[in-house]
This record gives sequence, structure tokens and C-alpha cells, in this order.
Amino acid sequence: MKKILSFILGCIVALNLSMSVANSAANEVRVAFFLEWPTPNQEDKVKKLFDKALGVPVKWTNFSNGGAMTDAMLAGDIDISYSQGLVPFINAVKSKAPLKLVDIAMEYGMGGTTCVTSNASGITKANASELEGKKVAVPLGTMAEYVFDESMKVVGADRGKMDVIQMDPEEGAAALVSGDVVMACLFGGNSIKAATAVGSRLLTVQEARDAGILGIDITSVTDKFMKENPGMLRTFIEVTHEANARYASGKSDLNVIAKDAEMKLADMKETIGGFKFLTPAETKKSMESGNLDGFLKGMGTPDGAVDTSFLPL
Amino acid sequence: MLTRIVTFLIFFAIIGCILYGKKLIKTEKVDAVFGNPERAKGGTHWIIVGSSVILLVWLYYSWDIAKSFYPKSANELCQVGKVNDSLLSLKYLFPIEERQFKSTFVIKSENKNINKLAKEIKNTSSIRDQDKNKLLRLIVKTKNTIPLLTNEKLLENENKIKINELTNKINQLTKEFQKINYPGETAEEESKRIEEAKKEGEWGASGTAVEQTVEIPIIPKTKKGLKFEAAAKELKIISDEFFKLRNHNPKYKNAFKEIKDEIKKYRSELDDTQEIASALAKDVLKIARRIEYASIFPPQTLDGLQKSILKFDQVQKKEQGHLRYVDILLFPSGTIVSSGPSCSEQGSGRWLPKPSDTLNKFILLLKPSVGFKNIPLIWYEMMDVSQIIGFILPDWIADIIPGKYPVHNDAGKVEPNFKSKVLNIATGEFKLFKIPIPSGHIWDSFLRVFLGLVLGIIFGVPLGLFMGLNRFAKGFFDPLIELYRPVPPLAWAPLIISVLGIDNVGKIFLLFMVSFSIMIISARAGASGTQLSKIHASHSLGASRWQILRYVIFPNSLPEILTGVRVAIGMCWGTLVAAEFLAGTTGIGFVENVAKKYFQYEVIWITIFVMGMLGLLFDVTLRKIIDKTIPWRGKG
Repeated sequence: MKKILSFILGCIVALNLSMSVANSAANEVRVAFFLEWPTPNQEDKVKKLFDKALGVPVKWTNFSNGGAMTDAMLAGDIDISYSQGLVPFINAVKSKAPLKLVDIAMEYGMGGTTCVTSNASGITKANASELEGKKVAVPLGTMAEYVFDESMKVVGADRGKMDVIQMDPEEGAAALVSGDVVMACLFGGNSIKAATAVGSRLLTVQEARDAGILGIDITSVTDKFMKENPGMLRTFIEVTHEANARYASGKSDLNVIAKDAEMKLADMKETIGGFKFLTPAETKKSMESGNLDGFLKGMGTPDGAVDTSFLPL
Repeated sequence: MLTRIVTFLIFFAIIGCILYGKKLIKTEKVDAVFGNPERAKGGTHWIIVGSSVILLVWLYYSWDIAKSFYPKSANELCQVGKVNDSLLSLKYLFPIEERQFKSTFVIKSENKNINKLAKEIKNTSSIRDQDKNKLLRLIVKTKNTIPLLTNEKLLENENKIKINELTNKINQLTKEFQKINYPGETAEEESKRIEEAKKEGEWGASGTAVEQTVEIPIIPKTKKGLKFEAAAKELKIISDEFFKLRNHNPKYKNAFKEIKDEIKKYRSELDDTQEIASALAKDVLKIARRIEYASIFPPQTLDGLQKSILKFDQVQKKEQGHLRYVDILLFPSGTIVSSGPSCSEQGSGRWLPKPSDTLNKFILLLKPSVGFKNIPLIWYEMMDVSQIIGFILPDWIADIIPGKYPVHNDAGKVEPNFKSKVLNIATGEFKLFKIPIPSGHIWDSFLRVFLGLVLGIIFGVPLGLFMGLNRFAKGFFDPLIELYRPVPPLAWAPLIISVLGIDNVGKIFLLFMVSFSIMIISARAGASGTQLSKIHASHSLGASRWQILRYVIFPNSLPEILTGVRVAIGMCWGTLVAAEFLAGTTGIGFVENVAKKYFQYEVIWITIFVMGMLGLLFDVTLRKIIDKTIPWRGKG
């Protein structure tokens, strides 16, 4: 009996201790990013320029969606999420996760996130109300769901009447190819390529831009890291913006970026071509009164989730 | 309130049952020796202890005990969290929770980086010697800026005064903080605050909406909370003021500017072929700028500030009083953390929802009008029997009837004829009476498992028996079965979506694959395990082949088959969730997958419990069936 009791007590103590231990002094910075989502700073990542600039090793981990990034940040395994989608971030902040939005990674039209209808269904923008009562694949809780909602408003179809199926982009593309769904909303170059092979975009990139549908990817950071290592965070954002400036002036090594994003050069160029990398001044404006601000307010985000003080102005 | 009663009940149950168990061991005379299964029989009291412990651990680690016994503690801890939040950046400069000063750490690591860079420059062969010398000189210069920051004598008077001022402010706050009436709130302010706090509601998940997650009220409800909130506000101002301070004396500023200009000039002189040198120069500048940005102060300058912070920390811990013990004891593995405008549970309380909240959410989800994504968890729909008839009758029955389908006439009307009427019946387009049919997420999942299992039994058991009795069948099917059996069922999942689609067919087929192999193995083992003497006996009594199969081999293999069914059920549930993760509009797995995306931990746990309960239900039912139908189990 005593043995059992002491064992249980021991277990409880061990559990309590193990959970309260978090990383203290930052001897490395752990950053989350996406594959198939090329960004100029991946050149710096490959060439270890981040490690040099921050003065500590930077560990990059790839994720498949922004929600998983949040999970990892809350569990204390990731310090900075680069190019997290805004929707997963908003979901996290709404559930009171201690995260902060410190930078905009990029704004993009529907080039990188889009809804594709299958050619076999014959549904286009003109007869989009035929989508009602049919099956559509949407990765819920991601930027693609936002794009889906907005597109449906544009084409005048009622989301409530559709059979929305939760599917990640790769599976959504497969289901569109096999004809199980008439429309799939997706992100990621390879998935969109697979889907557009049998279908076409519901809204073209230009149409989406005209309708004001716009994706925003952001840099988010845990509160703890922000408070403890403001210098490192500042440097990280600065290096990223330097890389963006280098890309804007056409000096980026696109081969390196394509290889790191695990894409073919041509596909990579097409994807990155749809991205708009903001300058620090534009970023600040977007965060305070521009697109990002409007997006956050539109989604009912609680105040105080944005911090512009780390931008290299 | 309910949680409190439950907690007490659990305590008494555990203690009572343990005492009873001990007493039983002493008084009970068991003839059975060690190894006799009789010794494991009975023991309901241990079941109570087991489940009570699980509940208690859940109540404890989800902080539900804290919530029920000290409902205001979260709100108060939120205010304490605000203080910690304001102090965090300041504290991090000193060896309070760290081993060394932040300055020391920065200097150490930058020295390391400088040495590394110097080495790199020396070892780079592609740059000219004059560039090397230039870069190394720059590095030495950068290194020499550090002493300019750490020299006590160079510290500007202005900064000294400011630091003293801030130190005094903290000391003053420490003194004020201990007073009972701090921060001196007027009666009017108090009533206003209490009014607002009431509007905010209580700690806990909302019981009226699925989407809302755990809320911790942030407006202080108690005097103690108010104290901490006021202190947090003041500390935030002090902290911000401190971090505006820059220990950049004129001498350092000059040195830094010199380095900056020199590098700029040097880089502009380089042409495109010397990119490496240019990049290295940039690296030097980066180190210099990191040193500039870090708050490096002379070693003794901040002693006073450190002491005042430590003193305040002690005082605020003392002022927490019993709250501190509540925090330590009832908030295991984590606590309430404040970040920016909101407070949140960080630790086990975040991902382990409170039993009371979970129950509330579950009741809410069970309401057919709420459900999850507009589909109830489990409810019923009225369905016309005609649809069942339409499903059973094949549509081609109408096609083979002679004649043609009606064509519309000149008046624009369609006159139905016999053929079209048959078609209506075959497709179920007529009205009969309606019967209630279960529907909803739980029912859909249940149906999938049930169908997968039944199909597995229908096909697996005869084939298994056949394989156990026939050389051809064994030889023919064995390689096939043995090849596909060890493959984890989920390995098929991606393929099945492409081949069979995302509807129920694919999911049921996946589950069928799982149960099929298990049923074959168990039926085969049962058939080949029949005692030869029994078969010989029935032969000599003149039984036919069918009779032997029906009355000897099948009953003998039933125990094995039913054990197989139990195993298959477990495997099916495991596979089902993953199958519903892939693509779905209904089902428990779908609910869990979507809840995960919106961080609805209560819903996630509800799905886990529902699955556990359904699995248990299946298993208990089967156990009853086994006991009823094969009383000869284990006695053959």
C-alpha cells in the first residue's frame, strides 16, 4: 500500500515538474515554416544567414498547416511561426492563446489559395449557384475557408446549402480528380496544379483581386519569446525584410529558394509571383489601418494581438 | 457546487473502498491457491476506486477542483499574472530566474560570435589580404565597443539619475502596495468596477455556444485583485521607461558611428566581384548593431534596481497570501497567465477541459437544434418507408416492362401510365407511412462500424472455416490473406479515397478490411482447433458433413470467433476515426478533427469519451452475448 501511494505521489510530482519546465535562455531559436510556400528569406535560411544575424542557431521545422504551428507554439516547441495563415492565428487568439502578430510575411491574391471547380461539373462563375446541394472540399479553419466564404459571396452562392466536406488540400485535389466533389478549395502549388489539371479556377486571380479577396500570411511569435528576446525578434524580422528587398531588386537566388521549398523552379516562380512582400512602412500601415487591420476586425479578433514595435523602420 | 459534492464523494468512495478491501483481505478465507482464477473474481470496490481515481485526476489536473472551491482564484491569479507580465522583461535582465545577467549572456555570446567571424575571415581564401586585414581591424573595433558600455566611469549622469528614479519608483510602489487601501479606490469607482465585473461573467466555458472557449474574467472582482492590477499598470510604465533607456554614452556613440561609416564606405568601394568581402563586412555590422540594441550596462549600475525588483517580488508573493498556496496546490502543472489584453489557462488546464465544462458542452451538443456543424450528435429523422422500398427494388424493373415512358402532350401535361408508376415505386417516389430513423454524428459512426463489422463476419467466418477444413482453400487464400493482413489498415486510406471515393462506401470498406482478416484468422483457428475425438464421435454416430460442420465444428469455433469479433470492434473504432479524419461531413472523427482546428478542447474530449463509451457498449453487449450463447466456452 505504501509503495503504491508513494509511486502515485512520485508520478504526480514528476508530472508537475516536467510540465512546468520550459525553455529559458534562448540558446536556439525555433522557427516554423511551410513547404511549397516559397519566400525570399529561405535563401537566408539555407545560407545560415539567420544564424549569423541572430547570433544563435536557428532551427527550422516545416508544418502542413497553421493550426499545427499554433499547437507547437503553445506546447513551447516553436518560438516564431513564419508565414502562418491569418485565419489559424485568429482562431488561436480567439481561444486566448498567448501569441502576438509582429509582422506580415506577405499578402497574396488567390494565386496561392483558391477554389477550383471541376470541368466535368460544368460549373463556372456564371452558374455558381448550381454548387448548392453539391459536395465541395474545404480545409476548414484555414485561409482556404476564408477564400471559400468570400468567393461564395462574390458569385452569389449559399454556403449553407452546400455539402461542405473537411479535406486537406492534397486530398481535396484527389477528390476533385476522382469526381467526388465538384469544387475544392486549396492552397499549395502542387495541390493547385493537380486540381487545375481537371478543373479551372472559379475566380481568376485578377477577378479575386478586384473583389478584394486577399490572403495575408503573418509572422507570429509566442509572448514569452517576445518578452525575453526582443532583440532577436527584431533581427529576425529585419533579416526577412532585407531578403524581401533583395527579391524585389531581383537579386535573390531563386534556385536555392525553389529547392528549399521543394518545388520545381517554374512552379516556384509562378507561386512566388503571386505574393506581394510589403516594405516595413507598408507593413506598418497594413497592420494599423490597412488590409490586415480590416481583416482582423472583420473576423472579430480581440484587440491587442498586434505589435508593430519590432518592424525595422 | 456539483463539482464540490462529487469531489467529496470521490474522496469518501476511495477511502471507504480501500478500507473495505483491506478488511476483506483480512477476513476472507479463500481456499483458492495462487494461480486459481477464483482469486480474481468479485472486487466491485476496486472498480469504484479505479474509476474514482481517474475522475479525481481529471478534476485535479483540469483545475476543476480549484474552480469549484475557489471560483474567484482564476480572476485573482489573472491579476497576479498581469504583474508578472509587466515584470517579465525587467526580471529577465537579472539573474532572478536565470543563471546570469542578460548583459553577461549577451557579451559572452557576442564574443563567441566575434571570434567565429574572425576565424571565418582568416580562413576565407577568396578575398584579398588587404580586405582580410581591413575586416579584422573592423572586428577588433567592434569588440572594443563592449568595454565602452560596461565601464562604470563612462556611464552618463543622466542615465544614472534615471535609473535611480526608476529604482525609487519601484521602492515606493513596494511600500504603497503593502497598504490595505492601495490603490485608494473611491466608493463610486468600486461600484462601477463591480458592476462591470459582473457583466463579464464567471470563470469557465460558456454553456450556451459551442464556439466559445474558456473565459477568464479580467476585470478584478476582489480588492486583492485590484491591488495587483494597479501595481501591474505602474510596473508596466516603469518597465517601458527603463527599456527606452540606452546606455549609449558619447564615446560609444562615436565608436559605433565610426564603425558604421567605415563599413559603409568600405562596402561602397568594393565592386561586384568582391561580394564575399562585402557580406562579411555586413556580418561585422550586424554584430555591432546587436551590441547596440542589447541593454548592456556596467556590472554594478543596476544593483539597486535588481534589489528593488527582488524586494517587490517578495512583497507581492507575501501579499498573495493563501492565493499562492491555491496556485501551487490546486493549479498543478501550469497556472493562469496574462498576455496583453487577456488571461488564459496555460498548462494542463488549457488542453484538459474541466469535467463540469465538458458536461455542459456535451448537454449543449446533444440538443438537436445545436449539434455540431448543424448536425445533431444523435437524434431521429422521420423517413418514409417508401424510400426503403425504393432502395431495395432495382430501378430496371420499370425498364423491362413493355411500353414506353409517358411523353408530354399538346396541353403541356404528362399523363402517367403503368410503366411510369412502376418506376415511381422502384425509385421510392410515393407516399406511405413514416417511421423514425436515428441520425446524427454518433449514429453515422456507429452505423459505419456496425456495417464494416457485419460484412467482415459474413464474409470472413465462412471463409475462415473453409480454410481450416479444406486444403485447397487454405493453400489458395493463404498467401493473399497473409500478405494483406499485416498491413496497417490506415495504409489503405489514401488509396481508398481515390478508388472508392469519400462517401460511406470507402469508409465501410476500410473497416471491412480490418474486420475481415481478423474474422478469417479467428474462424480458421477455431475450426482447426476442434478436438479430433469429437469429430470422430460424431462420424461414428452417423452425422453428415453438414451436420458435423453445423453441430460440432461451428459451436467449437464460436468462442474463438466471438473473441475475434471483440478484437475487430476495437480495431474498427481505431480505424474509423482516422478514416473520418480524411474526408467527412459527419461522424465522431469528423467532429474531433474540426474541433481541433478551432481549439475546442471540450469538444475533442467529448468525442473521445463518446468513442470510449460506444466501444465499451459494443464490448459489454458482446460479452453478454458470449455468456448467453456459448456457455460451454472454456470447458471443452
